[in-house]
Amino acid sequence: MKRLRLDRWGAQFLPPQYQVPRPRVLCPYQQASHDHRIQHSTRFYRSTPAIRDTPDYEDSIDLATPLEQLPSPPPKLASSSAKLAALHARLSLPSKLPLHTLARCLVDASADPSPDFNNSSLAILGSEILGYHTSEYLLCHYPRLPMTVLFAAQYAYVGPKALRSMTLEWGVEVAAEPGGEVDPGLLQLKRLRPEEAVIQAGETGRPNQQWAYRRGTSSRIVYDDQFGDLKKDATTASGNAMVVGSSTAQGPGATDEEASKNFVRALVGAVYLHAGRAAAKRFFEQHFLSRQLELSKLFDFKHAPRDLSRLCAREGFESPVARLISETGRLSRHPVFVVGVYSGNDKLGEGAGASLDEARIRAAAAALKGWYLYSPIDAMVPSDVEGGDKEKKKWEPAMIDIGEIIT
Amino acid sequence: MNCNPISRALPRAKLSSSPVNSLQASTICRRHESSYRRTQKRLRVKPDPSFTNTTTHQDHIIFNPPSSAPSVYHTPLKFLPKGDRRRDLYTSASSPSSSSHTTTQQQQQQQSTPTPSARLPPALKSPTEKKYHLTESDIASMRELRAADPRQWTRVRLAQRFECSEFFVSLCCHAPEIKSEREQQLEDIKRRWGRRKTEARQDRQRRKESWGRDE
Repeated sequence: MKRLRLDRWGAQFLPPQYQVPRPRVLCPYQQASHDHRIQHSTRFYRSTPAIRDTPDYEDSIDLATPLEQLPSPPPKLASSSAKLAALHARLSLPSKLPLHTLARCLVDASADPSPDFNNSSLAILGSEILGYHTSEYLLCHYPRLPMTVLFAAQYAYVGPKALRSMTLEWGVEVAAEPGGEVDPGLLQLKRLRPEEAVIQAGETGRPNQQWAYRRGTSSRIVYDDQFGDLKKDATTASGNAMVVGSSTAQGPGATDEEASKNFVRALVGAVYLHAGRAAAKRFFEQHFLSRQLELSKLFDFKHAPRDLSRLCAREGFESPVARLISETGRLSRHPVFVVGVYSGNDKLGEGAGASLDEARIRAAAAALKGWYLYSPIDAMVPSDVEGGDKEKKKWEPAMIDIGEIIT
Repeated sequence: MNCNPISRALPRAKLSSSPVNSLQASTICRRHESSYRRTQKRLRVKPDPSFTNTTTHQDHIIFNPPSSAPSVYHTPLKFLPKGDRRRDLYTSASSPSSSSHTTTQQQQQQQSTPTPSARLPPALKSPTEKKYHLTESDIASMRELRAADPRQWTRVRLAQRFECSEFFVSLCCHAPEIKSEREQQLEDIKRRWGRRKTEARQDRQRRKESWGRDE
């Protein structure tokens, strides 16, 4: 199989080979990054010699148009922004990642519709990388998780809300209004106006959408995004592409959450493109996997005892029996019962409650969680052995469970 | 012997320094020396065996965690897949050769060693053996009865007659013609409830849903 040269795709965030009409200003990247003497990016220049031979666009246009008329800050201002340098140092980003790309990650598509200057392309790549690393971690470390819990865990790790809170924790501030004169260290977005905030009941991608369809778990796996939600991004991305064609039209605004989400994703994509796969994985582990998520809180059992007896029947265990381990104050106002669920002589789970029923149901839920939250001891993820390095450890196949209980 | 309670109550009266309190104490408090001694003896809790220094003149680790529900991240032995290394670890830890005195390991022993069922705690419900005694003709007659007079032959009466569970009756036959009537009756009853009863019922329902979420 021919190997995909993903690093070549990085050429898109460097100056375009072909002439893209920029509405007011044309600020190619090569001049600025050339000043920084980024060694690895010289390879990209070889593919774009023509634009360097052309006369200076920057000087002529910069002299002609004041900064206030630009939709986003020009890239050459990135090297003089203290906020950008501080953010770069605070996140301990790899030194291969230039400040100009970091500045580009901060420009949302709502602020600058031109795909050569906003972060939309980086965000798409970063979203895929984040989704891949999160799902491989969850699937390999918790192979028995039910699908809905997987969706919820994925959302909790790399969902929009998590990315928004990460942006706040990183100390990235939002510009009041985007523009060329704004500090490039601020997140540039054009805010959504109240009358624009209409949720469109759009395409779901399902074949028989006009009839009443059920969004079951299986169809959510196939048709929906990585969180099991309807794909809103796809429609808006295509909308942005339409807007880009007509260069003067402004796209719809964005909320803080959307812009922060795109920024974090674009940053991951940029780390991947500039510093490589290993650096992107390290960045993911340091900033995303280091966040604590209580997986056991994501469960919601409707009929825990019934599910547990189905599980025991499926796995060939003895049917579960609830046994009273201890109790206190049975005749008082606040009794406490401790009930264990046993299969044969083995205790599967234990729960305490104010009534026998409550303790029994809690014990069954705890037993089910004990089943679903099983984690192999030395779980590996596929990206651990990627790259074909000789000194890396050998791949051991991940455990694959036959699936959750369906009653 | 009778003067003892008064003398015991005296120090308190001195502290409070009011004659009314001493009078109350002398009349109400009827604690004998024997009962006081017993109470004190009962309140004197022995230290956990893990605190006793079994090893002589050596530093040792005290492992005595507070009593709490077991973590759901500790997969029980029965739920471990075949090739997991923890199976061997659990079985070796539960073998009698490695006898240790900590409470948690004793609990693990109780969990994992095959003990006779007499040693297990009592079951909440007496286990019932399924009889599977109803034949096709029985089920057909059950359906006939239910269809003929659903008000007379309710699920409860059919279950009593055929010696099966009400759930099984509901699997075999149903009476949609009286369903709306029953629901109407229930609605009438619910309409007579006041605010407190309605809210109490709703709260109870909400609490029940939280059991499955483990809140």
